[in-house]
Amino acid sequence: MLSMATVLANETMGAPEEGLRRLVLRGIGAARPGQFLHIQVSAHLEPLLRRPLSIARIDKERAEVTLFYRVQGRGTQVLAGVRPGEALSVLGPLGQGFSLPAQLSQRLQLSHQSHSPNLGHQGHTRQQGEVRQDSVQAGGELWLVAGGIGVFPLFALAQEAVGQGITVRLFWGGTHKRFLESAGFSYWEALGIPLHLTTLDGSFGRQGMVTDELNTQLSLRASSSLPPVLEVATCGPRGMMQAVVERCLPLDIPVEVSLEERMGCGVGACLGCSVTVRSDNKSLRNKKVCQDGPVFRGEEVVWNA
Amino acid sequence: MPRGETSASVEAAIDLTVQMAGVEFRNPVITASGTYGFGSEYAPYCPVEALGGITLKGTTPEPRLGNCVPRLAETPAGMLNAIGLENPGLEEFVKTVLPQIKELPTQVIANISGFSVADYALMARTLRRDSGLAALEVNISCPNVKHGGMHFGTDSQSAETVIRAVKQETDLPVIAKLSPNVTDIREMARAVARGGADAISLINTLLGMSIDVEKKKPVLANTFGGLSGPAVRPVAVRMVWEVAEAVDLPIIGMGGISSWQDAVEFLLAGASAVSIGTGNFLNPSLPLDVSTGIETYCRRHGFSSVRELTGLAHRV
Ligand SMILES: Cc1cc2nc3c(=O)[nH]c(=O)nc-3n(C[C@H](O)[C@H](O)[C@H](O)COP(=O)(O)OP(=O)(O)OC[C@H]3O[C@@H](n4cnc5c(N)ncnc54)[C@H](O)[C@@H]3O)c2cc1C
Ligand SMILES: Cc1cc2nc3c(=O)[nH]c(=O)nc-3n(C[C@H](O)[C@H](O)[C@H](O)COP(=O)(O)O)c2cc1C
Ligand code: FES
Repeated sequence: MLSMATVLANETMGAPEEGLRRLVLRGIGAARPGQFLHIQVSAHLEPLLRRPLSIARIDKERAEVTLFYRVQGRGTQVLAGVRPGEALSVLGPLGQGFSLPAQLSQRLQLSHQSHSPNLGHQGHTRQQGEVRQDSVQAGGELWLVAGGIGVFPLFALAQEAVGQGITVRLFWGGTHKRFLESAGFSYWEALGIPLHLTTLDGSFGRQGMVTDELNTQLSLRASSSLPPVLEVATCGPRGMMQAVVERCLPLDIPVEVSLEERMGCGVGACLGCSVTVRSDNKSLRNKKVCQDGPVFRGEEVVWNA
Repeated sequence: MPRGETSASVEAAIDLTVQMAGVEFRNPVITASGTYGFGSEYAPYCPVEALGGITLKGTTPEPRLGNCVPRLAETPAGMLNAIGLENPGLEEFVKTVLPQIKELPTQVIANISGFSVADYALMARTLRRDSGLAALEVNISCPNVKHGGMHFGTDSQSAETVIRAVKQETDLPVIAKLSPNVTDIREMARAVARGGADAISLINTLLGMSIDVEKKKPVLANTFGGLSGPAVRPVAVRMVWEVAEAVDLPIIGMGGISSWQDAVEFLLAGASAVSIGTGNFLNPSLPLDVSTGIETYCRRHGFSSVRELTGLAHRV
């Protein structure tokens, strides 16, 4: 969808030194967590290209979406100057979002149904077998692993998953306390889910990397009767996402990663945003971050292509 | 008296059709190779039937994964790209792309690239009228591939040889796409005309580069890339003007079109049709806006056919 979206808010989040902002738009079509918008920051085509930003919150009832962004270079600087009431040309929602909530809630529902006496009457005998298998995993959790501003797209996912009754846990690493507080810590707190925070300087949460805390918690799970990790969704620096994938796959935990690449068209037409993936038959081929992603299955991404 | 700006009826239908190399286009607005995928990506934003034609991404005999990322860099009023001719290869193109384009309600031009005359000939042999294509655009000018088509695009003798080879193998009209990275574009135009080209398209991208001063290294993984977008338009208009004077072939003009005014500029300089590339990224419904804008312009200036605009600035 190409639309002129009305800017409802465009304001600093938290400490101004962090350069983080919150942009609320009205007039965007139905969005799924993990999708992004390709935004024209200036009608004067300066800068020229659109800027991709993830959808961080979806308010279906009010037909509003919220984006969180960091002022980085020229494009985001110009975007920061857009005032409430003005309109922005927005392409999207674009891309394939996270597949987690739908699948997980299906599993949970199925496992719930398997205890329901109605199922037999409906005659779904073949599915019943599948249901029993799935119910083994009932009570599992969705884990989110974020590095820095990679946390932004994960918020929409968390909101949706929590809304569907899925247990969500966030692992989030940043440089220091002020960053985490500015980048939406209060939103996460309000969600009421368990948060595992790390900072490089130890000013908030555990000192170290977010993957350290992930490793600790995964090891704990392995040796206890805590509910299993059903799926992991991650977004952040490439190295961090690669580490998450390499840690989780041997444990048979599926991982979804949200990738970034420089974009031209945003719709799959220019091949600017290529990512190398391994097909099921092991051969290498390219996918497009804008159209096939930005969310990919962890095992398909070739990290050092 | 100039043709009646006031006397023209507001309702008069403007004839937007153009004929080039025996092909009729419903209007002079075509999309440029490499910026419009294989035609379907932009369909939700710009109805295919509103386009004069679509030019497909460049195809090579063998599949290519293209260059490493970053493949794009934004520059003042423009962008650099170094896609590296990523494409599924001729066999896959014939198997999966051609059947789809047969369904498209517009003229479809295939764009071919190669590394030898034999490459171009092979593709021309495969892509003929029965493939459902309207024409073959021969990219002798892609600057992004090492030892790629560039040398065909900068050496007039090689350019003539390639076009002649393609002409011999296909019964489709042949459009020679010229590189702007030459000293004298007229010499290149004359060369492809001698080779038998039915039309000329220009310009392809201008070779450029950009360095990240903080990282102290080139932005593009490929170091060099092709510059496109509004920044190149004056160069492109000048070259269309020169080619229009040098040869008697229809011209598809392109380079930096981002409004209908830009498109009219190319027509006045001597183009029969225009192509839109980077402009699609900025405004996915630009081709539609451009053809409507051209129509309104014709009406306002008392032209009954868009064909009257071609080369007009040379004569007044
Ligand atoms: C799918 C996707 C979702 C994103 N979501 C968010 C988000 O929710 N919040 C947020 O703050 N940032 C997000 N980003 C990154 C954001 O797009 C860039 O920070 C932004 O484009 C920088 O533009 P600029 O002009 O300020 O910076 P410059 O560095 O001046 O930009 C120059 C060029 O490089 C491109 N570019 C620079 N950095 C990136 C990058 N990291 N990814 C892609 N292109 C880049 C720009 O788009 C522009 O074309 C996302 C990127 C992608 C691909
Ligand atoms: C991302 C990108 C990919 C391109 N790929 C091709 C290609 O495969 N073959 C070709 O002949 N030209 C290719 N071009 C060049 C365009 O077709 C066009 O000649 C050029 O970009 C100038 O027009 P513009 O300024 O409107 O984009 C490409 C351009 C861009 C921006
Ligand atoms: S940005 Fe053009 S293909 Fe992805």
